Amino acid sequence: MTNTENFETISLELRRGVIVLAVLSLLGEEQYGYSLLKLLSDQGLEVDQGTLYPLLRRLEGQGWLRSVWKIETARPRRYYVISPLGRKFLPDLKKEWNGIVSVMDRILSDKKERE
Amino acid sequence: MRLIDRYVNEVGKRLVLVKGHADIEKELHSTLEDMLEDRAQKAGRPADEALEIELLKEYGTPDKVAQTYNPHPYLIGPRMFPVFVLLVKIVLAAIALGFVIATTMQIITHPPATIMELLKLIGQGLLNMLSGFIAGFGNLALIFALLERTTPASELEFGALHKVGSKFTVLHTADEGERWDPQTLMKEPEPQAVKMWEPILAIVFTLFVIVVFNFNRQWLSLDYTAQGIWFVGVGNFISGKTGSIPLFSEAFFRWLPLMNVTWLAEIVLNGMLLRSMRWNISTSLISIGTKILQILINLLLLSGPFILGITADALAASKLMNMDTAQTVSTALRTAMPIVLGLGIFGKVIDIGQAGYKMITQDRPAKV
Repeated sequence: MTNTENFETISLELRRGVIVLAVLSLLGEEQYGYSLLKLLSDQGLEVDQGTLYPLLRRLEGQGWLRSVWKIETARPRRYYVISPLGRKFLPDLKKEWNGIVSVMDRILSDKKERE
Repeated sequence: MRLIDRYVNEVGKRLVLVKGHADIEKELHSTLEDMLEDRAQKAGRPADEALEIELLKEYGTPDKVAQTYNPHPYLIGPRMFPVFVLLVKIVLAAIALGFVIATTMQIITHPPATIMELLKLIGQGLLNMLSGFIAGFGNLALIFALLERTTPASELEFGALHKVGSKFTVLHTADEGERWDPQTLMKEPEPQAVKMWEPILAIVFTLFVIVVFNFNRQWLSLDYTAQGIWFVGVGNFISGKTGSIPLFSEAFFRWLPLMNVTWLAEIVLNGMLLRSMRWNISTSLISIGTKILQILINLLLLSGPFILGITADALAASKLMNMDTAQTVSTALRTAMPIVLGLGIFGKVIDIGQAGYKMITQDRPAKV
């Protein structure tokens, strides 16, 4: 593996960790897969469809999301929305995330001071 | 049929065993249509086949897409693998023991009249054992593959299998932290440590080999009685021996001085191990050197004249088998001998390679 490939893998792993939280947060309103993908991209989080769709299925399997097929245009689309269970745990996840961010901020700023 | 339809169809073929695969296909189709439409709008061109090709190329091969939906990429995943390996060892050992006992009992209760019958019996026993191994391994793999796919992770924490001392213990995640004592690690043998009986046994065995090959060659023979009973090495102690065939030819004993060097090196090596009770750089290097010399001897034996004294003429002279049978046995031995020597070389090369690699990468001496 080249250094660039290593960097990309590490960067991908970092992003993967936050996708669940981003998806749950954005699914307060119904979205179908592709619209969610675009929404994430518009917010600055590029997610590969090969990561997003299996994740949506997994979260639905775990009961954190609900989905329903709708025919609005020429084709049917599967819409996802956060479930009551997902809604219950979302604040805790956000709290966890804020904790991580402040810890990382501290670590990174300490590092800057040391440098 | 459009390219997108064919593509979804191809992905679907790879997902037949995945739960809800029809739903996945439907959603994939819908997504690809959305993406195509979006792309066409942005490019200001029709959603034609060229655009479909462009999109599908970016989306990835059907294999890659199907793989992302596969919740069980392994036949037996990491949480169950340690238990699987443990059970395979137990089951295969039990099967081997069972067949050895069964074959031995058969030989004792119905002694074979000729060496050919004995070989046939042993060969049959080995074949049965091999079938048993395959069946045992296959059944275990099948059971574990099914468990992997049907048991929720929360119910089966096989990943929490620990070796506590010398025993395997299944600890569940909830109490794992409380029950596992890091001090048990001290009970684990160090990788470089040597058990006392190992070098002692090696020295005794090597001395025995030196004595037999140098001073008691008559033990290295295939002896027989008029009743057609064959013995290896112990014929001199059996009454009624009518003849014997040397196991090895002169071509073999030509290299005896070189073999003596390797045996003496083994004794020195094991003496050093007995003193230090652990592998270090010197003992590892001596062991590697000895193995290189043993490979050389095997190569010399392979390239020279036939090393066994059991020839068709000698077997036929026993009058216990006809010339045809004697030739069959002799041909079998001539075919098997290079394979045995070749496997010996292969095994030693692997040992040396592993030891060398460990010495270089781990910066510590390796057990050879």
